[in-house]
Order: sequence, then C-alpha cells, then structure tokens
Amino acid sequence: MTWLSNDLVERLRDVASRPELASDRYVILRPIGRGGMGSVYAARDEQLGREVAIKVSNAAAPTDDLDQRLRQEARVLARLEHPGIVPVHDAGLLEDGRWFYVMKLVRGKTLADHAASLEHEAARLVVFERVAETVAFAHVAGIVHRDLKPSNVMVGQFGEVLVLDWGVARVLARTDRESGADHQPDGLIDGTSGGTRMGTAGFMAPEQAHGDSSNAGPPADVYALGALLFWMWTGSAAPPDLNEVSRSLGAVSPAPSRRLAAIVRKCLSHAPADRYATAAELMDDLARYRQGSSVSAHRETTIERAGRWLVRYQTFVWLVLAYLVMRVAFAFLR
Amino acid sequence: MIGSAGSAGSAFKVASRLGYACAVIPFPATRRSVIERIRGADTEVRRTAFGDLAAGYWRPSYHYLRLHWRLSPEAAEDVVQAFFAVAFEKGYVERYDPSKAKFRTFLRTCLDRFVQNTQKAERAEKRGGGVDRLSLDFPGAEQALAELAASDLRDLDRFFRDEMIRALFERAVDDLRRTCEESGKAALFRVFERHDLAPSPDVSYATLARDLDLTVSQITNYLHTARRRFRELALGHLHSLCGTEEEFRLEARELFGVEADP
Repeated sequence: MTWLSNDLVERLRDVASRPELASDRYVILRPIGRGGMGSVYAARDEQLGREVAIKVSNAAAPTDDLDQRLRQEARVLARLEHPGIVPVHDAGLLEDGRWFYVMKLVRGKTLADHAASLEHEAARLVVFERVAETVAFAHVAGIVHRDLKPSNVMVGQFGEVLVLDWGVARVLARTDRESGADHQPDGLIDGTSGGTRMGTAGFMAPEQAHGDSSNAGPPADVYALGALLFWMWTGSAAPPDLNEVSRSLGAVSPAPSRRLAAIVRKCLSHAPADRYATAAELMDDLARYRQGSSVSAHRETTIERAGRWLVRYQTFVWLVLAYLVMRVAFAFLR
Repeated sequence: MIGSAGSAGSAFKVASRLGYACAVIPFPATRRSVIERIRGADTEVRRTAFGDLAAGYWRPSYHYLRLHWRLSPEAAEDVVQAFFAVAFEKGYVERYDPSKAKFRTFLRTCLDRFVQNTQKAERAEKRGGGVDRLSLDFPGAEQALAELAASDLRDLDRFFRDEMIRALFERAVDDLRRTCEESGKAALFRVFERHDLAPSPDVSYATLARDLDLTVSQITNYLHTARRRFRELALGHLHSLCGTEEEFRLEARELFGVEADP
C-alpha cells in the first residue's frame, strides 16, 4: 500500500477540496483564506497571464443561502467602483452550479495584523479615514456593509486601504417617487430576511445585535466605524456602555483627545438617531478635528475653546508674544 | 475470512454509482450506513460491511496500539487481529449509539477496553479462535511507524482520526492507480503521481508536459479528472467508515472543506 506522509495527506486534501471551474481560463494555485461564507484561492488567469483571487462559496449546493450571498457580494462589489474596494473582474458558475467570482489579488495585511505598526494618531487616522471614505461611498450608492471589523480591512503593500467582505451587505431600497413603492435596484436582493442577526460581536450595532439586521441602515456602519476607531486605540472591541468606552479611552497611553473620544462616543451611541447619520457626516467631523476646528460631537467649555484656539493659531500667538517681548526689552534698554 | 483488506472495487463502484457528474460533494441518500449494514440480517452484507470497517481502521488501530499502548509489533498485530475478530463475533459495533460519540471514537474506546481486558487475561493470542486471520500488511504498517514517532499523542482522538484519514487516502490512491491501469488510463495516474504525490509540489505543468510527452492542456485535464476521482474514491471509503449518514456528511465536510448552511 502507498505510504503518505503528513505533508502529502495535507496536499491531497487541499487539491481534492479545490473548486472545479467549468472553463480552463483560471488555474487554482493555492488556498489563501477561508471564512464563514466562502473560501478564497489564488489563481492564474491563463488568458491575461496574471494572478487573481477566486472566491467560492462554502455551500454544499447551489441552492444554499451561502451561495446566494456570494452572488450578492459579487454584484454589490461590481456596483462599487472605488479605490477602497477590491475590483471584481469576472464571475461564473462552478461545474456543480455554485457561484464563484474573480477579483484582484490583494497583497498586504489585515488591519488586525497591521495595527501594531500604527503608533501615531496621524497614521491611525489616515487609515481610518480611508475606511470611512469607502463606507461613505457605499452609503451614497445605497449599500450598508454591516460587518466592518479589523479583519475585514486590508492594508496593501503600498499603503492602499481596502474594505473587504461585503457578503452580508444590505442594499437599501430605492423609493420610487412616482409610485411610492420601494424596490431593490438592478435585481439586487436584501442580504437578509427579517430577524436575522449578522455582524460580529463588539463591532455590531445594538440594532443588529438584537436581531434586526434587515433594518440596519448607514448608522449601523457608523457604529462599526466607531468600534473600529475604539479598537485602534485600545486593541479591544467596544463595550456596550458609553461610560465604559470613556473610561477605556482615558486609560490608554497616549489617550485620544477629548474631541476625538467624543467622536468615538457619538458613533457608539445606542440609538441610531444619536449617531452620525452616515459615514460622510463622520468624515466631516473628523476633518474638522484634524483642522483643529470644533467638532459636532463635543460641546467645548470656554477654556477648551481658548486652548484649541491657541493651539490652532500657535504660530501667530508666538509671533505676537515675541513682538511684545521685544517691545518690552527695547523699552527697558532705553 | 471476515473480508478482504482492500475493498477498492466496491468503493469505486459506489463512487461511480453515486453519479459524480457534478463536482459538488455528493451525499449518497440511498446507501445504508455501515451500522445498518452490520445490524442487518443478511450475513454476507454484514461480513462485507465489517470488511470495509476492518480495511479502514486496522492500520490506525495498529499504530495507536504501538504508540499509545506501547505494545510490541507482534502483540499489536495479535490484538488488531483479535479485536476485529471478536468485534465481529460478539457484535461490538452493533451496540454503537450515535447520540453518544462519533463512530471512530466509539471504536477506539472499544479497542482500549479490549486491550485492558486482554492484558488482564493475557490471552490475546487465543482470541478469535476459529476465525481466519485478516490478510493485513503489518510489516508495511511497522515501516510507516517510524514516520509517526514525532506524533502528538496528547489528543488521542485526533491522532486516531488523522491515521484514519491517512489510511483512507492511501486506499484511494491505490484504487485510483489500479482503476487507471485497468481502464487503460495509466497516463492519468502518472500525471497525478508526478504532480500531486511528488515530494516537491512545485513541478510546473510545462515541465510535466515535456517529461510525459503530453500537452499542457492534457496535463490540466488529467489532473482535474484524477483529483475528482481521487475525491470520489476517498468519499466512498469514508462512507463505509462512518456510523451514520449524518456523521458521514459532517466528516466529508470537514475533510474536503464544504460547510453546511450556518
């Protein structure tokens, strides 16, 4: 009888598990990753002579919900042409009828692995703003991601930031003003039925955690973005209690400023109405924060306002002070 | 004779009968589980089912006895022979309750008890009297043991499972070789052997095509077919080693990575 080493057993298991594509355009090279919904493989596109990534659902049959979700994800991605979203090149059926889609092969690290190298606030905010910008773009296109978390953000070799895993994204219904009826655009379906819970604990908005994923709108993504920001400072998932959020942010070193902490708290508000309505609104507040202006999330005291004004115009303040010191010095010398 | 150690032919027939025109991992709906077959009234069916079991589990059992129980090669060989003989005679397997454990865990527990009892009575060699010994390749299993010396034995269930999968794949490879040769498609197995069974996994299709005097397109197609048939054969064998249909589904998904709806 043939003797198989451990390596050979693993290799046979790998090759026998690989999806069988109906055409010979793509040759599967190796598995890259495996999630709850699908598996991703590196493949070679024989026609164009380049490496690509192929995602295949883990469904046992084409009729499974998992397979429908993969199809939905491909169509959502195809709608979202943005530098922060992996482009889809092709889609098709496996020999067994399940869906696959072909996308750009992204080389890099997930934010979960990359975060340690982001020591300074400015570096963290650059990455975060790219994520928020991508999500804001999706919101404008009527799509809610619903599963934002560190492992779904990829930072590429050249600093590019990509938001991955749109498999549980919700396509918002477009209201037809003439008929008054809601309908899904371009044949896209809502990713979930009512009462389904989707997302990841610690990054999931309370309305999602309570099983109301089908009604999770842009504020649900805003919550997840706040949780992501919280995680970038603390390294842990956001607690449900806002007081605990404040305590945790105050305990890290260096702690985020009061205004930034207020932005995080506003994102993590329990009620969707208390959060930023969309990722774009959050971006606006972050931009004001970076410019040293007041932010909508934080009501400043007079002292805070004066301190911020001094910091913002410190060059001018220093010049005036220097001028005054020189005038006083000249007055004494005379 | 309880049954032949290699039931490759029947496994291949099963795989073919299951209709694998599609690559989705098929779950045979009509074939009875090994427990049902063993519990059945037909002696021949019972004997064949037991033969399938013995063929799939004898070597994991032998390695388990050698490494975990630290039995000598001769003692381990005797215990394996005796265990399957007595299990058949006394209907050990028929007592399996799927709600309590996986079938392979149940079988390993039976083996543990059997070793304890035989050690107490010091009569392992006397067990199984009146039943022909199975024709098993113990010297081959002993040679393979050297490779397993570094195995982690803290998780015995995992060790037993890994050994079962190894034996399963080895039987599937042997069956693939045999069926390819019998059907005049030896080139198909050669491609599989050179690419997927080679010590180094980095042989390019172009190199293989040049070496075997085939086109790259033929290499792609042959590999595709060989892998599919290998999987069919492995699944056929796996089916005969699982206690229930549900266990087979779960094991197949775990083995080849296809999940059920979460």
